[in-house]
Amino acid sequence: MVYHPRENWTRRGRRGLYSRRDFIQRSTAAGLSLTAFSSWLAACGGATGEDIEVVIGTPTSPATQPLFDDVPAIESSLAPEAGPLRIYNWEDYINPEVIPLAEEAIGAPIEVTIFYNEEEAFGKLLSGEVQYDVWFPAGESIGKAVAGKLIQPLNHTYLPNLEQYVWPELKSPFYDVDSLYTVPYVVYQTGIGWRSDLFDPADVEGLANPWDVFWNPKYKGQTVLYDDFRETMQMAMFRAGITEPRDASAAQVEAAADSLIELIDLMNIRYRIDGAYQGIPDGSFALSLAWSGDMVNAQYYFPEEADVNGVLGYLWPASADGSTVNGLIANDTMAVVKGAASPVLAHNFINWMLDEANSLENFAWLGYQPPQVGLDPAVLVTDAWIPENLAAVAITSEDFARPRAVVPTQLTPETETLWAQQWSRAKAGG
Amino acid sequence: MPTNLQAAETDSVGLKDWVWKAAAAPGLVWLVLLFVVPFYAILAIAMGRLHPVQLRPVPEWNPLQWDLGPFGEVWSGLFGGQLGVIAIRTLLYVLAACALSVLIGYPVAYFVARKAGKRKGLFLLLILAPFWINYLMRMLAWVNLLHNDGFVNTAITAVGLAPQDWLGGRPSTVILGLVYGYIPFFILPLYAALDRIDGQVLEAARDLGASTRAAFFRVTLPLSKQGILAGLVIIMLPMFGDYYTPNLLSGSPRTQMIGNQIDQYVNQTTSQGRHGAALTLILMMAVALLMLYYLFNIARVTEEARE
Repeated sequence: MVYHPRENWTRRGRRGLYSRRDFIQRSTAAGLSLTAFSSWLAACGGATGEDIEVVIGTPTSPATQPLFDDVPAIESSLAPEAGPLRIYNWEDYINPEVIPLAEEAIGAPIEVTIFYNEEEAFGKLLSGEVQYDVWFPAGESIGKAVAGKLIQPLNHTYLPNLEQYVWPELKSPFYDVDSLYTVPYVVYQTGIGWRSDLFDPADVEGLANPWDVFWNPKYKGQTVLYDDFRETMQMAMFRAGITEPRDASAAQVEAAADSLIELIDLMNIRYRIDGAYQGIPDGSFALSLAWSGDMVNAQYYFPEEADVNGVLGYLWPASADGSTVNGLIANDTMAVVKGAASPVLAHNFINWMLDEANSLENFAWLGYQPPQVGLDPAVLVTDAWIPENLAAVAITSEDFARPRAVVPTQLTPETETLWAQQWSRAKAGG
Repeated sequence: MPTNLQAAETDSVGLKDWVWKAAAAPGLVWLVLLFVVPFYAILAIAMGRLHPVQLRPVPEWNPLQWDLGPFGEVWSGLFGGQLGVIAIRTLLYVLAACALSVLIGYPVAYFVARKAGKRKGLFLLLILAPFWINYLMRMLAWVNLLHNDGFVNTAITAVGLAPQDWLGGRPSTVILGLVYGYIPFFILPLYAALDRIDGQVLEAARDLGASTRAAFFRVTLPLSKQGILAGLVIIMLPMFGDYYTPNLLSGSPRTQMIGNQIDQYVNQTTSQGRHGAALTLILMMAVALLMLYYLFNIARVTEEARE
């Protein structure tokens, strides 16, 4: 029997003229297809990870990260690969002028890809769809990165500079005892930065609770906080007198979010990630929650003709005179990504970055201080690496041991979820 | 001589049906790959689970195991929670930006279509020229112009006016940013609609005694209605999902739009990534309603024209 094309088209479904048997057959076929499609997509999605355990170290309870048979370190004395070396780093987190020097030193081209926050970096690395050799995770995230098998153990025979140049306190940090997976990159504090021509330092210096300055309506419309839930939520908790935010109760976290909501009307608060290093120089803000390195950077964002001498100020509540509240101090790291195409080059690059001269060259542009034994903070000021008015941004290894210095650690899943929920509430306005 | 059946299998240019079907195949594959699969992925994320350790969404591809929890939380947040406030704010911003786009864009499109004469091409080029530059770059340029030490404040203080905090979380700045960002996409379809209006129809209106004003309101405006609708649909859809305009021109929670909330869920607090996917789906459904209205309107007008 031959159908007319139109008849054929109509019979097959336009008017839904299926027999019961047709319907069952087609539904079964569709169901099987969907199941097969689902299985395929699930396979693409990777492991669900219910059996993964994250080893979380704290300053009082350092952690040795586990080693896995399927994630070995590279052998010693291997020849470097041809490259390119693929670096996965924060935006503006390495001196562009250092790259060609490093390329010459390791004998291979370098490609830099950037990420904007750790969530993005973790998401991409976990997807397995990107391939990098060197990654710059925060110290507090190492447990999660190891548990997710995102980074591979280091072979220290390629890293003699770790022993030679790095602060002893960070050669075996609490989050990665014996530096099995990481080496430190830079250190930083989270403090209060300002522009002296728009802000009166007397409004923050000498206060028992310097964090209160962000709730001072005198600077309404001129204040900016980081668009980063960990930093800003912790600041609000420090301000409330909580000494260790990771141990805060749900009610305390909620109260911290409420205090941030209060800022919307009280201060017309703005959230930006570039508020300190860009918003302060361009006059958008007088006062900012500020990473120490951002304040060093800020001087380079003023117009060329501007006289920045003495214009910028910075205070870290954990060490400020008269202060009784805590503040954050932390470090970022360098690690070799699991499955790196050029792991020997990656080790060679990391070792090169740990060299004192090279790290100083990087600091000159980056503004974030490498934890180098040979870099005396006082000399950084006298040699004009750091302006005199910003001397407070220079960090010593002793700063990590101050009684009111809090080193961030990996949050438990429950705590991180709670903070995220409350941060979303604070950003949404209630 | 071909039989009736053979004639039906070929079209007016003599091509077989299967040729057209084959020609449509790449487009269909494109649609499946770039719309259907990503859409299903968003659905699978919204209805999926949270990785217990990494705290990232794990998509659940099997519909039988979908978890409606995050979807329900977003839904209740929209109807009675702070998300509802953000949704209403977004709607108001988009409506205000659309109204301004009509007020600013209609005269421009009308002028270019009906009054620019031989210079039509030049004017179209001038309208489009700034938009050869990336949207983000243009917004960053506005940040430089509008910040406290920027050119705008320098200019207004030079004429004795007080400087303004343009980037201080003002809804007006965000709305004007949206208008600036999308207005050419309103003007172009409207220009095309106005350009197509037969001049003889207007002459007939005048011959029948209509004033210039009456001819505009009773002939030109109704005939350009489809152009206005098309332009509005084109600019409304991206405006609803915009997040970098309020981010760059304000950064204040006061001007947070739905797009910012999705960005927040997806990029910052990844433990709420499923909520971001659910909010994306709800936003898609809302804008799909707009699109359906537009398609329905087009179909009705086409039907009326046939009659």
